[in-house]
Order: sequence, then structure tokens, then C-alpha cells
Amino acid sequence: MKFSYNWLSELLDGALPGPAELTRLITMKTAECEGVEAFAPALAHAVAARVLEVTPIEGSHNVQARIDAGPVHGVKQVVCGAPNCRAGLVTAYLPAGAEIDGRVISKVTISGVESDGMLASAAELSINRDHSGILEIDIEPGSPLPGLAADHVIEVDNKSLTHRPDLWGHYGLAREIAAITGAKLKDPVKASLLPAGEPLYAVEIEDHSLSPRYSALVFENVTVQPSPLWLQARLEAAGMNAINNIVDVTNYIGAELAEPMHAFDADKLQGNTIYVRRAKSGEPYDALNGESYTLEPRHLVIADSGGAIALAGVIGGAGSAINSETTRIVLESANFDAACIRKTSAEMKLRTDASMRFEKAQDPKNTVRALARAIALFEIVSPGIRLHGGMIDNFKAPPAPAPITLPMEWLIRKLGRPIEAAEVRAILESLEFGVAESAPGVFEVTVPSWRATKDVTIKDDLLEEVGRMVGYSSIPPEPPLKPVQRPWVNHERLFHHDLRQKVAAQGFTETYNYSFVSEAMAARFGFTPDQHVHVLNPISVEQSLMRISLLPGIHRNIVDNARYSDEFRLFEIGNEIHKRQSNELPHEVPHLMAAIHTKADGSAAYYELKRLAECLMPGCEAAPASSLGYEHSARAAAITWRGREAGRIFELHPSLVESGRASVLDANLAVLFELGPAPKRYQPLRRFPSSSFDLSVVAGLRELTGDLGGRIRAAAGANCDSVEFLYSYQGHPLPDDKQSLSYRITVSAPDHTLSNEELTGIRAAIIEALKAAGYELRG
Amino acid sequence: MIESTLSELESRAAASIDAAATPDSLETARVEFLGRKGALASIGKDMGKLPPEQRAVVGKMLNAVKQSLESQFDSKKAAFDKAALDSRLAAEWLDVTRPAPGVRPGSLHPLTLIQRELEDYFTSLGFAVVDGPEVETEWHNFDALNIPATHPARDAQDTFWVEGGHVLRTHTSPVQVRAMEKFGAPLRIIAPGRVFRNEEVDASHEHTFYQLEGMMIDRDVSIAHMLYFMKGLLEAIFSREVTVRLRPGFFPFVEPGFELDIQCLICGGPGCPVCKQSGWVELLPCGLVHPNVLRAGGIDPDQWNGFAFGLGLTRLVMMRYAIDDIRHLASGDLRFLRQF
Repeated sequence: MKFSYNWLSELLDGALPGPAELTRLITMKTAECEGVEAFAPALAHAVAARVLEVTPIEGSHNVQARIDAGPVHGVKQVVCGAPNCRAGLVTAYLPAGAEIDGRVISKVTISGVESDGMLASAAELSINRDHSGILEIDIEPGSPLPGLAADHVIEVDNKSLTHRPDLWGHYGLAREIAAITGAKLKDPVKASLLPAGEPLYAVEIEDHSLSPRYSALVFENVTVQPSPLWLQARLEAAGMNAINNIVDVTNYIGAELAEPMHAFDADKLQGNTIYVRRAKSGEPYDALNGESYTLEPRHLVIADSGGAIALAGVIGGAGSAINSETTRIVLESANFDAACIRKTSAEMKLRTDASMRFEKAQDPKNTVRALARAIALFEIVSPGIRLHGGMIDNFKAPPAPAPITLPMEWLIRKLGRPIEAAEVRAILESLEFGVAESAPGVFEVTVPSWRATKDVTIKDDLLEEVGRMVGYSSIPPEPPLKPVQRPWVNHERLFHHDLRQKVAAQGFTETYNYSFVSEAMAARFGFTPDQHVHVLNPISVEQSLMRISLLPGIHRNIVDNARYSDEFRLFEIGNEIHKRQSNELPHEVPHLMAAIHTKADGSAAYYELKRLAECLMPGCEAAPASSLGYEHSARAAAITWRGREAGRIFELHPSLVESGRASVLDANLAVLFELGPAPKRYQPLRRFPSSSFDLSVVAGLRELTGDLGGRIRAAAGANCDSVEFLYSYQGHPLPDDKQSLSYRITVSAPDHTLSNEELTGIRAAIIEALKAAGYELRG
Repeated sequence: MIESTLSELESRAAASIDAAATPDSLETARVEFLGRKGALASIGKDMGKLPPEQRAVVGKMLNAVKQSLESQFDSKKAAFDKAALDSRLAAEWLDVTRPAPGVRPGSLHPLTLIQRELEDYFTSLGFAVVDGPEVETEWHNFDALNIPATHPARDAQDTFWVEGGHVLRTHTSPVQVRAMEKFGAPLRIIAPGRVFRNEEVDASHEHTFYQLEGMMIDRDVSIAHMLYFMKGLLEAIFSREVTVRLRPGFFPFVEPGFELDIQCLICGGPGCPVCKQSGWVELLPCGLVHPNVLRAGGIDPDQWNGFAFGLGLTRLVMMRYAIDDIRHLASGDLRFLRQF
């Protein structure tokens, strides 16, 4: 929302701080300002000038003009390119030194002719958007442009006005400024202008909960013409386009009093009754914007006996729009239910100045104030205009809210600093709250109608009024005196943090990937769209699905980083999001995914990930697993830990990694956390020495080292401490299809030193078992 | 006579030890003169033939000579040992500038670092660290936070909707409600986590970012108490003087609501892309919990009240490390990530 500093000043009596300081004060006490900018600074220098003589310049569309700029500037020569530059015209002259579009005008030579200053269009002066030619006015050369002055525009963040219907107009913000600075608020509304007598139209409101009030006036002898320049400039400052005097006044009042208004051409209305009703199912509606809509009963319309003439609170209709022929108008000033307007505006994607105001819950008492203001403004912009009949007003006032009880003692406890009752009263009264002391130290506070629609309903809201006006910086921080309680411990989160630390210590760098994947990304890994939770309103296809695996993200990391680096390790801990039946929330499963990219053959990287798995899950076991589509078909394993499936280690399928090879560990952290750390219990140290011996077994090339080790362990009996794989050997004298696998077997007994005979016995038992299974031993 | 023989032997032995150029020749000299079958030993054997009175004198002389020679031998041997050790050490020279083999530790994401730091800080103040789902019910994300369906505040949060009428949480605030449901009052929690907004990505906007929600519920919690925690938090984060300002802010789930801004640490005030040229960065929206929110969490607002705040972790990380483009954080680019 844009606020004109001049406009605000006009609504206040008393000296105001400068624009920058005022902007800061508004931010600190009322609502966040996005910034303040000089608006139409050139108007500080502009004067009227009469064109005396125009001489063409050869080879240029520009002309050379001699102008009379009044007693101060005298006669000047300027170069002008406007088509309407002609002798006798009175226009706007900007002397050297004036500022326009951020640049300072200086004496320059254009088309070989010296130009001392310039003649300006209304657009160049920021009066309106007309740059078809230079301004045409009818005043004495040398005089300043009437009603026009350099201004500043303060832009307030709309989000911080969400709860303040009153601040959608200059008058509301002026009231805040009065409370902040002590200046006196001047009401531009003269209620006495409202006509008495019989109205020309009746109003039937079908449901007062959707439209508590509908007020209107009828005017005749209307002249539709451009607004005076000062009014156009005000609209321009507030970010609106001047259209004609009638529409401009409605927009002006919208920006001043926050009451959206609409003017119908009275001669285009049918019947003498205005209906405020729900649309009929399938009711057609042609709006002012040139679009046609089909309405439903959830939409509220203004109608005459012929049908809908306005989509209530959102946009007027094409059929009843005013134009240059219009001589009689019905001026609507109504109040509508915020939720209803908001829904319609969102559904139709029509965010108009009116709907933005109504959806904040406007004050129904404001409708007649706006009408009174319109009478005064119309008299200025449409001389000869007359009221026709009395005021139309259908109002079913909602029950007045009860006053809010505000105990001082409560206020001080919540504020956390002392404050005098008199100061509280002064602050609330400066914001036009009614304050009565019902008991010592207890106020009964009446909320003004423009704050009562939604904004201020409970004493906590009053705490805010007092707090922001005394200034939050006046509250000294203070530690609370509260009983200490031992907080709940989030073991799962601590476990994840601990894992991160461990994985990083093994050389892996942590990445954060999006929770989104595209259908194309998912398809590369064989995931189908129906496996995923869908985002219904993605910005782009990149965010259409919620990830069911961390793999697409990690894969992207691998491909991206391979452009800069050959060997790297990375990991992520994040949630997989799995669809559930019915409307339950999805199942979010934390996973760890770690990857190593290498230019080498990849087996070392694979085993490195197996080592990582063992760091995190001591004693976990890898078993060959049938590969998934994205896995290397001969390098995929399922990891089990303490009897549970805990994850997989695989090399990515070569078609997915063109830069080298990448192996991946995927661990389900829900399982890991559930299992918890392996239980630890002290075992007495063995008092008797252990003995070791090595065995080399001849086996097939695809014999699993782990399986053979298990076989040895089983044969070694109860006294076996460990079976450790040492190395494998291929080559002479072994046949080509055989390898030798060497193990170190360590044995001991808890209660004595094993004798030579016992050792020989264990060794013999192992050899016998292996031979029985068809293995040969070497050496 | 035997004394002169002994004296002559001593001179010869001393000369031999002295002349020995290698450990081997020294050993040869030792064997020749001091060995069990050496020259001194054979004189010792001959002593028995001497008359007793002379035997004592010669014995004394013999011991003296032996001790003197042994001492010469020992020091010569020690010199050889030292030389041998010195030359071995010299041969074992290492190029200490050569890079060490093996993998280097990786690094943690800056968002992890800041989360851990803040979790530790709040844990020390008696706050529990709680989690909530990333896909959230509409009720927890909006309605329970005093944002009904028709509230214009819903516009301010560009929401991703998913099937089942659920949303990708637009803030960590729904965890307030989940924590109240789970723990009741009194309550001190923080909830760091990932949130989503349906926004186009550019240098300062992301559709995925991190927040840290905080809430304290107790009896008679005041704005002054809230400020105490917020101030402590900022001191803990920046461990340096920061300029802050507290101003009104509108969030339906607090009343009153505040924006706590800090002066931009990247530009120091004049304005830059991170602070959108304003010189201030909105860092800490906060406020006293709205009674409707307490009710939604099953807590009686007449008995309890509290404060809540939401810290933009992503923005904080950017300020802390002077990161000028938010897109780095989810880029997965190791050239960026390894800097932390």
C-alpha cells in the first residue's frame, strides 16, 4: 500500500517529522514500511509557460520554441519534441536544475540548438500516465502548477496490514501518526452533507451476514470528464491510474477512507430495487475487465431486476459502467463479509483494490462517511452535479462487541515493565478507544468500529496497542523466575547428529538436497509417479513429487561434482516420504545415504562404504542381493544388522555415472535407531593365552569369503575366538578356475591353556569338515 | 720385571684401543688385552708364582691397569655406538613436507552446524528439541495457529499442497501445537527443521529453507522474559555486538507480535542484496502466544501463557558465513560445502 506524505499531512494538524523519520516511526510503532521515495520532485520547480513562437529544426522532428516562463525565468529557448507544441499554448516548464526520473536537467544542445530547460508532459511530471504531448493548462505564465507539489511516497508492506482494515486508507494511517507524534487528526468527512428524504431506490439484502450494510446515493446532472490535475496526481502517488472524474473520486475515497465504492450508470439500471443476493447457479456475468464469468450461489452479487450488475466487493459489471454519455449515477458504498469476498476473489483470480480491502473486514459504519466525502468531492470535480433523493441505506448492525476488561495489574505483568494507568489511558484514547475505569486499576475499553471487525477482540490485543506505542525498546530484558524442569531428550535427533559426525570423520561431506523430485528424475531410477506423494501446485515440474529415496538427489550431487573432481565422498541424512493409504499423513522415514565417486575400478570404493557401514553398525553383514534397476548387477548387497534389514550397499549402474564409478550406502535410520547402540557388557579378560594358526583353502573364484569363513568357524567349535580373512591368491600352481583363500584362526579356552593335542584336534576338525564339503587345502 | 712388563702392556693396549678405527678392530683389541684369554688374564695367572708380599703389590697394579683400560675401551665403544646411531638416524631422513596419505575428514553442512549450536544453547536453558513432520496437516499448519481458511494471512505463505488435503509445512510453527499436545504446560521447546514455500528461486529466495521454532509456556510470561531469551540467543549466535530493533509484526499465532531485526552483518547498514537494500534483516519474528493457539494445543490460556519465536536458520547461516546466494545451500557443490 502506497501512502502520499502530502496527503497524510493534509489530514493532520501540527508539524510532522520528515518523510524518512516518519517512515521509521511507522515501522517501529505501526507497520513495516518497505521504503520511502521522492515522488514527482520536478513539481518543486515546474512553472507555467506560454509558447511564444515555434521554429522547425531542419532534419529533426523536434522544434525550437521560444517561451515566456513568467517574471522569474523570463523568456527562454527550449527544444521540444511534443506534437502539441504550438504558439499560444500554456504548458509546464522545468528550468535547469529540476529533477526528473532521477536526473537533473541542465542546459544542453539538442539537434544543434541550445535548450535551456524543458517543456514537460503530465507523465514526466508524475501527474498521470499521459505522455502523448506536453501538458496543456490554462493559467498565468510563471505561476506554479495549482494543487501540485513534490511529494514522497511511503510504501507499507501489505502483509503487515493484514489485520488492520483501517490502514488501507490514508485517514487510518494519519490516525496512527497522530497517536505517534501528537499531531491532531483532521476528519475530511462532513456528515452534514448527507441528504435526508426519500431515497429513489430500495435495497433488499438477502443475507445480512454476507452484507451487513448497503448504502448509496443517486446523483444527476453529472459531467464525466478528466479529473483536476491535483486529483490525478494523488491517485498516481497512491499507485492508481486516473480514468475519469467519477471513477477517480471513488478510487480517491478508497485510498483515503479505505471504503471501496462503485458508480453505476443509473440510466442503465432496471427497476427501482437494488438486490444484494447470492448468484443463481450458472448466472452469467460480464465484468468491467472485459471477461465473462459464470457464477454460482457461493458468489455474492449486486443485481437489479435484470440480473447481476456487480460481483459484490470484487468488480463492477460492464453493462452498467459509466462512460462519457453518463448523466446520472448510483454511487454504491457497501460492506461485505470478508471471507466471502476473499473466497470469490481467490477463486476468480481477481485481486482488485476493492477485494483487497474488503477481505480485511471493513467497518460497516464507514459506508455513509464515504458517501458524505463523495458529495464534497463530486461538487469539485463535476460542477453542477446534484443529489437526487435521499440516502439509500440498508443496515443491520451486528451486535456491538462488549467492552474489553483490561486490568492494569495483568497488563504490567505481561508487558514486563511498570506503566502508569494515566499513560495507558492516554495511549488508548489517542487511538480513539473508549476508556472507562470500572474499578481501581481496571479499565473497560470500548473498541472503535474500525478496529472491532476482527482486529481487536481480547485484552491481549490491547496489550499490543499499549506496548507498541510506549515502544518495545523501553522494556528491559529480564530472566524469568520459573521452576527448572529436566527437558525431554530427543534421542533420535542426537543419534542423527552423532551419525553425521561419524560419517564426516570418514571423509564424507554433508549435502542437503530438496525433498522434491521431478517425474523424469524419478523415472531414471525406475520409480513411478504413483509411488509418490504429489505436490498439487508445483511451480515447475522439478517439484512435482516428494522423494521416496534420497538417491535422485545424491545422484545429482555425484554428476554435478564429477565435473570438478574425480575422487570425492558425500552424504545426506534426510527423510524419505512414503504415501500411506487414505488421508493419513505420509510416512517420513529418515535415511542416510553416503556415496563415493572414483575414476578407479570401483571395488575399493565399494569396500570403503562397507567399512563405513561397519563403523556405524559394528558387526553388520553384507549378503549378495538381487540388484535393482539402478544398481550394478553384480555389485549389490543387502545389509543386515543384529537380525534386521538395515540398508544396501551398491555400485550405481554404469549407465547412470558416465564420469567414473559411484558406490552408495543407503541405511534406514529408523531401523538403526530402533536397534539402538549394541548393548555393552564387560566380559572377564581371558586368563589363559590364545593360539593362532593359518589355513589356506582352495575354492572356486566366486566362493564367498564370508561363507567359507563361517564354515571354518562352525567347524572350529566352542573355543574359537575369531576367524580372520588374510588374503586371496590366484595363479601358479592353482588352476585358472581356482583361488586360495587364507584365514587365521585364533582359539583359546576360558579355564586352561590349550594343549598341543587340543590345538591339533581343532585344526584337524576344520580340515576334515572342509574336505567333507569338497574343499582342498594348500600347503 | 713383572711391573715393567705390565706397564709396557698398558701402553701397548692403550695404543691399540686408541688406534682402533672400527668397532671390529676395537673388539679385537679388547679380546687381545682384556679378554678371558688375553694378555692381562695371562699375567693374572702368572701372579700365583710370585712371593706373597709381591703378589699383593702386583695384584693392585694389575687391577688399576685393567680398570684404566676398560674405561678407555668403554668410552671408545660409546663413541662408536653414538656414531652408528647418528648415521642411522641421518639415513632415516623424512621429507616432512610430503602430503600425508589417507582420506581427510569431510565436513558438515553449515545448516547442520548452526542447528547443533542452537540446540546445545537451548538445551542448556532447559528447552527440549522436538521434531515434526515435513508434510503437515492443514489444521496444524494453519487452523491451530489461529489462521482459518479465510484468513488473508494464508496468502502471505505461498503454500505447497499435496494429496489428502495436507501441506508441506510453511513454517516450523505447527510443531508448537504438536509439542503442546504431547507435553502440556509448562513447556520449553525448540523445533528446528525444513520448511517449504511455493516461491521462485533466486539469490535470496528458496522454496526450501530452514527455521527454528521456539516456545516457552509458563505462568505469567512477559515480553521482558521473551526479550531476555531473544537477546541471549543473538549473543550466542553472533558472539559479538549486534544492533537490533524490536517493532510490531503481525502473525496470527501471537498477540502481540513482533519483528526483531538485526542490522545487516554483510553490508553493515547501507544496504545490499541480502538485506534487500534496507540495512536491516528480519531475523526473529516473535510474540506472546495467542490464547487461541494455547487452546488448540489443549492448554488453558487463563492459567498459562508464553512466548514463541521463529528464527530463519537459512538467513542466519548466510549472515554468519557471508554467503551471498541462497542457492549454494542446496547445490550439493562440494567446492562450497567443503568450506565449512
